[in-house]
Amino acid sequence: MYLNIDAQKEMTYDAIVVGSGISGGWAAKELTEKGLRVLCLERGRDVKHVEGYETAMKAPWELAHRGRPDNQSAEEYWAGIRTGYTVNEEHRYLFENDSKNPYLETRPFDWIRAYHTGGRSLLWGRQSYRWNEEDFMANAKEGISIDWPIRYKDLAPWYDYVERFAGISGSKDGLDVLPDGQFQPAMELNCLEKHVKSEVMRKMGRTLTIGRVAHLTKPQSIHTALGRAACQYRNMCMRGCPFGAYFSTQAATLPAAMKTKRLTLANNKIVSEVLYDEKKGRATGVRTIDQNTLEVKDYYAKIIFLNASAIPSASILMNSKSSRFPNGLGNESDQLGRNIMDHHLGVGASGTYDGFEDQYYFGRRANGVYIPRYRNWGKDKRDYVRGFGYQGGASRSSWGRGVGMEGFGAAFKEEMTEVGGWNMGIGGFGEVLPNENNRFTLHPTKKDKWGMPLVVFDAGYGENERKMRIDMKNDAAEMLEAAGFKNINAYDNTKSNLGIGIHEMGTARMGKDPKTSVLNAHNQVHACKNIFMTDGAAMTSASCVNPSLTYMALTARAAAFAVDELKKKNL
Amino acid sequence: MNRREALSRVALLMGGTLSAPTLMAFGEGAAMPPTAGAAFSFTPAQQALVAEVAEHIIPRTSTPGAKDAGVGPFIELMLKDCYKAQEQQNFLDGLADLDAKATKAHGKKFMETTSAEQVEILKQVEKETTELMKNANVQQVKVGDNVDKEVVDSKKLKGTPFWRLAKELTLFGYFTSEQGATKALDYVPIPGRYDGCIPLKKGQKAYAL
Ligand SMILES: Cc1cc2nc3c(=O)[nH]c(=O)nc-3n(C[C@H](O)[C@H](O)[C@H](O)COP(=O)(O)OP(=O)(O)OC[C@H]3O[C@@H](n4cnc5c(N)ncnc54)[C@H](O)[C@@H]3O)c2cc1C
Ligand code: SF4
Repeated sequence: MYLNIDAQKEMTYDAIVVGSGISGGWAAKELTEKGLRVLCLERGRDVKHVEGYETAMKAPWELAHRGRPDNQSAEEYWAGIRTGYTVNEEHRYLFENDSKNPYLETRPFDWIRAYHTGGRSLLWGRQSYRWNEEDFMANAKEGISIDWPIRYKDLAPWYDYVERFAGISGSKDGLDVLPDGQFQPAMELNCLEKHVKSEVMRKMGRTLTIGRVAHLTKPQSIHTALGRAACQYRNMCMRGCPFGAYFSTQAATLPAAMKTKRLTLANNKIVSEVLYDEKKGRATGVRTIDQNTLEVKDYYAKIIFLNASAIPSASILMNSKSSRFPNGLGNESDQLGRNIMDHHLGVGASGTYDGFEDQYYFGRRANGVYIPRYRNWGKDKRDYVRGFGYQGGASRSSWGRGVGMEGFGAAFKEEMTEVGGWNMGIGGFGEVLPNENNRFTLHPTKKDKWGMPLVVFDAGYGENERKMRIDMKNDAAEMLEAAGFKNINAYDNTKSNLGIGIHEMGTARMGKDPKTSVLNAHNQVHACKNIFMTDGAAMTSASCVNPSLTYMALTARAAAFAVDELKKKNL
Repeated sequence: MNRREALSRVALLMGGTLSAPTLMAFGEGAAMPPTAGAAFSFTPAQQALVAEVAEHIIPRTSTPGAKDAGVGPFIELMLKDCYKAQEQQNFLDGLADLDAKATKAHGKKFMETTSAEQVEILKQVEKETTELMKNANVQQVKVGDNVDKEVVDSKKLKGTPFWRLAKELTLFGYFTSEQGATKALDYVPIPGRYDGCIPLKKGQKAYAL
């Protein structure tokens, strides 16, 4: 083979980061700040901070369908439409068109993707909670799946670190089940939420707190130095935040990495496989396909961080075959692509409240309330394992109530312009257990337009999740009842699929034993130590709290370790 | 359909809950083929009729009405782009029915009757729709966090009835229009802060989206 040595040099960096989403942004920031020359490969287009947020400043009437998805989009975004909101006009441009990026379902899986600079960091709900100590030990205690190779104390300083930089607002509640962190000032509860908080505590001993979210409420110099400002309470975050008020790659990690002048961001580069050198026994780089020109190009580096999100990161390893790794790089355990987890939701209750008629609020708080897990905690024991938390909020209704009401005309119109009654909804987010048979594979023959094998999902909820949902539904109604709500509507939407929580994880789990896991305690591929994976793929179990803060902490920790190891010449 | 559908889980995370059911869901079997890009349009007479019906639902008072806010053309656009063939047909049938009712009662088309007569006809349509939906066992169900749907017996009801569509689209079109949002509601594009608990001022209007 002819090798152009100069060209190869040009394509050589200290580190390659695959993906620029929540975890990839952190990898790029940490590695560049520690002195490495980093290439970040992003499969999608570049969405630039502020100027790339096409709809951010649009008024409702400036959107042709006032936000609603049209029939054609509903068809093209066939997976996205299942969520009920991601295909809407105001933020659809930041989600993936499923027809152009198809996947297959042996059992249905709702796969919600965002392929562009920043990934889903522009779209996430920003709920940010630490895992607790038990979360890391539950598998071992219950004999489910495998044990985590790390404990809470390994991650705690990294939680501190990422919380300070990202800017997480929240209240310190002093609970073991929901460890406190380095918080910006909490957002306020509204008066009905305050009432519910005191009632569920008084009558049931359960905590209700304000959501902990990645929004700056009181920016510090590390934030303002990057051009970030305090939240303006517009609640149009999914369009991208022109104020840089919530944590995203664009607002936070990318500008920090760019400041070092050691980051190269390359867009439209689909990483198809990791290049493995059998003689050296290590990864040497990655192969990319240009999403527009289909040009194939290789890039080289000493270390590789896979941060393409759980399914794509595992896919890349599966697609990296050699005689050393015929079933995919690092897949000797056959665990690659297995144990897909998510958080199950779509179950809870809502109700109306008579009272506080003379109370209102000002501003659109981009956050809700949080009720931390209390099931299977302390003395509580159920006929299932693990638990769930609730997210929700109270508000006063608006003209939407008119659709189901009788009447029309001047008086009706007048009524619709007035502030309606109070209502509140709480929905459970439940832990999904790891299960080897919940998996995805790559289709042997079917390929996408870039020649990449299609992902085939075969995963679903199990018995434990189904049992948990009974409590998730009943408890929600009970709490609202205890707080004096009327017209309580408890629901359990059993039609939703795994994936709908958009918290997919577990496809290259961490573990102590290379025979049963893909990654070690530092997120290195057991069998190829210069590949790190720090996105959702790494998770060994799922907890019931939103996962992305944990990906950030894992990424910062692994990056520090990687640079140390490089310096020690161990990689 | 308004923000309730738009927000669903997002609303939940953010504390926004809305009350009324705004979507219809039909049992298996009643699904019509999607009509993406299908030609759908009103005749000039139908356009005038739709605008008139919308104005009856949201008339001009001290604030602009549905006509001022361009609700008529909005309804046409929404039916064309966002609805299935069944709903489009129901809407056209509903318009024809208005004329039929007017002819039967007054011997003229709907548009030629007096405003009071029109109101009577629309009241009758509303009553019939309520009956229709009751007979079809309309039930409000949750399909997600903060997404309500109304589930109906699809054998008894084919698609969302005309009146329901007209009302839903009028309210939606009006309150999200510039006229409706800024004049009939309190429109605050950039609040700048959040106060969780403040007294409701006398005459305070609900916030626009
Ligand atoms: C609507 C919504 C609400 C959410 N709410 C929350 C929440 O409240 N709290 C929470 O913790 N999480 C939430 N999440 C989940 C959160 O967004 C994800 O957990 C998080 O973004 C995952 O980070 P990541 O780095 O693994 O992947 P992503 O952020 O998805 O980024 C992956 C990046 O990799 C790129 N990529 C993919 N494949 C390749 C390839 N082959 N080559 C090169 N690049 C590639 C993609 O284009 C993308 O930019 C939410 C998600 C959504 C969509
Ligand atoms: S609510 Fe806050 S974070 Fe969201 S878009 Fe507005 S300013 Fe940005």
